[in-house]
Amino acid sequence: MTYLLGFRNIQKLWRSTPCFELGLATSPVSLFLGVTRNQHRWLCVKTTFPLNSKAINLLVAKTRTLKEENDSSRQVSSDHYFAAGAAKKRAHLNNNLQQRDHAVSRKRGTIEVPTTPLNSEEWDQLKEDFKGKISFEDKVISQMVRNRSSVDVAKSLLAWVAAKNNGIVGYNLLVKYLYLCVYHKETSEVIDVYEIMKAKYKCLETGANSILIRGLIHSDRWREALLRLEEIKKVTIPSKKNYNDCIQGALFHQDVNLAWSLYQELIDHNLIPLLDTLKAFFDFGKHINDDHYSNKLLDILLYLRNNQMFPGESLAHSIKTWFESIPGRQWKGQFTTVQKSGQCSGCGRVLESIHLSPEEYEFLKEKIMRHVIDGGDQYKKTTPQELKRFEKFVNSCPPFDIVIDGLNVAKMVFKNRESQTLLDVVSQLAQQNLRLLVLGRKHMLTPSSQWKKDEMKQVQEQADCFFADNISKDDPFLLYATLNSGNHCKFITKDLMRDHKACLPDAHTRHLFFKWQQGHQLTIMNCLQRSKLAFQRQMLPFETRNHSCNH
Amino acid sequence: MNVTVRFLRPFARLMVPFTPHGKKRNLYSTTLQRYMSSKVPSLPCHKDSTSPSKQLELDGWKTTMKSSIQEDGVSSVVSDKDEDVLAATREMIEMRRLLGKEVPEHITEEQLKIISECPSKSAQRKYLKYLFTKEKMKKADQAKKEKKVEAREEAKKARLVETTTDEKQQDFMFLRLWDRQMNFVMGWKGVQAMQFGQPLVFDMDYENYMKPFEIRNAVSQLLESEGWNRRDIDPFHIYFCNLKIDSAYHRELVKRYGGKWDKLLLTATEKSPVDLFPKDNIIYLTADSPNIMTTFKHDKIYIIGSFVDKNIQTGTSLAKAKRQHIATERLPLDKYLQWDLGSKNLTLDQVFRILLCMKNTGRWEEALKFVPKRKHIGYLEISQHSKEIFSKQKTTTSSFPKGSLNARTRKR
Repeated sequence: MTYLLGFRNIQKLWRSTPCFELGLATSPVSLFLGVTRNQHRWLCVKTTFPLNSKAINLLVAKTRTLKEENDSSRQVSSDHYFAAGAAKKRAHLNNNLQQRDHAVSRKRGTIEVPTTPLNSEEWDQLKEDFKGKISFEDKVISQMVRNRSSVDVAKSLLAWVAAKNNGIVGYNLLVKYLYLCVYHKETSEVIDVYEIMKAKYKCLETGANSILIRGLIHSDRWREALLRLEEIKKVTIPSKKNYNDCIQGALFHQDVNLAWSLYQELIDHNLIPLLDTLKAFFDFGKHINDDHYSNKLLDILLYLRNNQMFPGESLAHSIKTWFESIPGRQWKGQFTTVQKSGQCSGCGRVLESIHLSPEEYEFLKEKIMRHVIDGGDQYKKTTPQELKRFEKFVNSCPPFDIVIDGLNVAKMVFKNRESQTLLDVVSQLAQQNLRLLVLGRKHMLTPSSQWKKDEMKQVQEQADCFFADNISKDDPFLLYATLNSGNHCKFITKDLMRDHKACLPDAHTRHLFFKWQQGHQLTIMNCLQRSKLAFQRQMLPFETRNHSCNH
Repeated sequence: MNVTVRFLRPFARLMVPFTPHGKKRNLYSTTLQRYMSSKVPSLPCHKDSTSPSKQLELDGWKTTMKSSIQEDGVSSVVSDKDEDVLAATREMIEMRRLLGKEVPEHITEEQLKIISECPSKSAQRKYLKYLFTKEKMKKADQAKKEKKVEAREEAKKARLVETTTDEKQQDFMFLRLWDRQMNFVMGWKGVQAMQFGQPLVFDMDYENYMKPFEIRNAVSQLLESEGWNRRDIDPFHIYFCNLKIDSAYHRELVKRYGGKWDKLLLTATEKSPVDLFPKDNIIYLTADSPNIMTTFKHDKIYIIGSFVDKNIQTGTSLAKAKRQHIATERLPLDKYLQWDLGSKNLTLDQVFRILLCMKNTGRWEEALKFVPKRKHIGYLEISQHSKEIFSKQKTTTSSFPKGSLNARTRKR
């Protein structure tokens, strides 16, 4: 069984961040590119035995290619059509983050943080030189946190503050000092500060607790991290990082049951686990030979599959090594790519098709009708009379092969008259004996400089047309007409339909919609007026995962 | 107890005279007691004249910090789980304040409840920040007031010193009753408008689309509009339509107006505007409308949807107008202004003042000065083309016999 994972290439780093608020994991799969011979590598795991129980999925991890040179056609992949807007932005952000790690950020108005511990006179001197609105100690310790100064320097600062304040150190200084200790993995120091905090304050806030959890898990008193977690729970839901730290701690100290129960808790809170958490489970699994544990790991794989999450490279490696470490099964993993035909280059199996199952299809159709077109108020996007007219029209016609968004296509070529562009597209498609439906608005019928009457007449001869009111939205009609015609029907528009996707009620439906859109949307790529139509094919012949294949 | 003032500063709020009820007092007194009971030995200053990097006393502060362990004197046995959550939340907020985060100093029980019921962390953070800023504003206001009082006292003293014994007799024409006179006049004008004024409708049908704070904002804007109307030379006759008795809107309005609500010179009704006026005379103003408003018509009834949508819900009011088959129009912002940024939905009081200005003068350039300056770069020069059209229209209208108003209106 095969998962296809988000790949990363050199020029653009596609980090597949499953962003559920936005409802899609942005992992463009460059499989539709027939022209490119991209050598991304995938992972495909084979077994020499037929598997008895579960349909396990095979992992395909696209990873960085080794051959960066002689890959001039690579740029096309980063211009994938669905990689627009937010997806593009995220990719850029990820890129920039990578670079920012190397560059040391210098902010204005900073203090030169000393590199060696100072005595009190020197601190006094520094304070005199400092001019700023906020207190000197806060500023210095913040700078230290930013520059990751050594613990001793911070300690000398705290000693100085305590000497001035009758041995009292403020809570914020303590917390930042604690952060530094945790960062430098000074466990004994962390324990000391922990004792002080426990003594001085009845309870701590979430930030300090998070840092403490992170500091305590590597010590012998790691179970106290769980108490900290309980304290966070009193006030809010802990973050996935808190859970990640606790799980890592539990696994580090061989307490598997605790780790799983924490994982369950994390899932129950509807949090999305960090990939590091999952990696920890897989890494730990190498040393364990236990059916129960491996079933749990397979559950994690199912979870990834169901939530469209893609492991990163390191996690993919962990999964591969875990599979190969199972005794008696003789799994073999390799990183491969998927060919254009949808076959895995490693074993030649065809990956799962991108088409929705009939139940999913019906479900999506009903949801689109109810949420996108109707949306609780039919007057928002259309009117009830128009909706009736449209339904009657759609049901009176036999199913279409292609539904065209007339206005979107017409405005594609800037230089041309709009009706002429539309006519070009329609006639070219009509020559292929396809049943066409052109959706538009009524103003297209009133003759003007952009809309010639005879050209519109020719369009109407070659295709069925439906004209909505000028203030209605035409996209919902487009979606419904396409869905209503059946699985073979495609639609042509450059619109990414993101606003309509956002109308859908939950992430699952949105994902179905996106999957269907990837399989059924055609986009006209050429903008030269007289050249032949060329579509960017969105249609992946398969989806980015597969059911079990047994060799 | 030799506690320095500096040390007590974070707990100065405990010194504020206030009467908490039992639960709270308990909590505070224990914290206070805890801090008081912590004996604070003063640290002897180590003066090492040796090289700083070696002989530094770095761990001394730890011992003093640890020595200040307080005996847990919290005797308040908390049995109720809700109470426990609230107490934990209160403590958490207190700790966050020590960290220098933006959280308020004092929190009431109701606010705590709201915080603990927040659906997400970010909602919690936002609400805390809101309380924090509110508190800051309050403090600043109080400081200002105190300053004013002081200044007044000073002035009084100064005047007492230089009181002159000879009191001059001065002649005045009026007594100082200006505010009252103004209110009288406005009242009369309001009554006039109620009888003969042009109706202007605020449609209150959007309550279900709004969150409580948006309703509060909308009511503030309504109050502002009503105030501008009162001061105008030729007021509208304001209608609040679809105002359901005892709805959130109604409650908020009554709360804000207090006793004046029943004496307001406007019509509040549960009916919809379609029931009150003939449909052909109604024009619904909405930014999503395809039709641009060219002139202000004195025989039409304009409707403004009293709807504050912070997360912009496009097409809600247009859908409403479509459902009732009402004509719609939008303000000609693009035609006269170089739009820069911001949504074209203006606040209720801005739209209202634009309409008032149009009613009195009929010039868009003047009326659109109420559009916030930050939203546009400046006025557009009316292009030559449109001027020509305008002059053509003029010639055609002048070809009709003078005084035939019908022809003119038909031309429109």
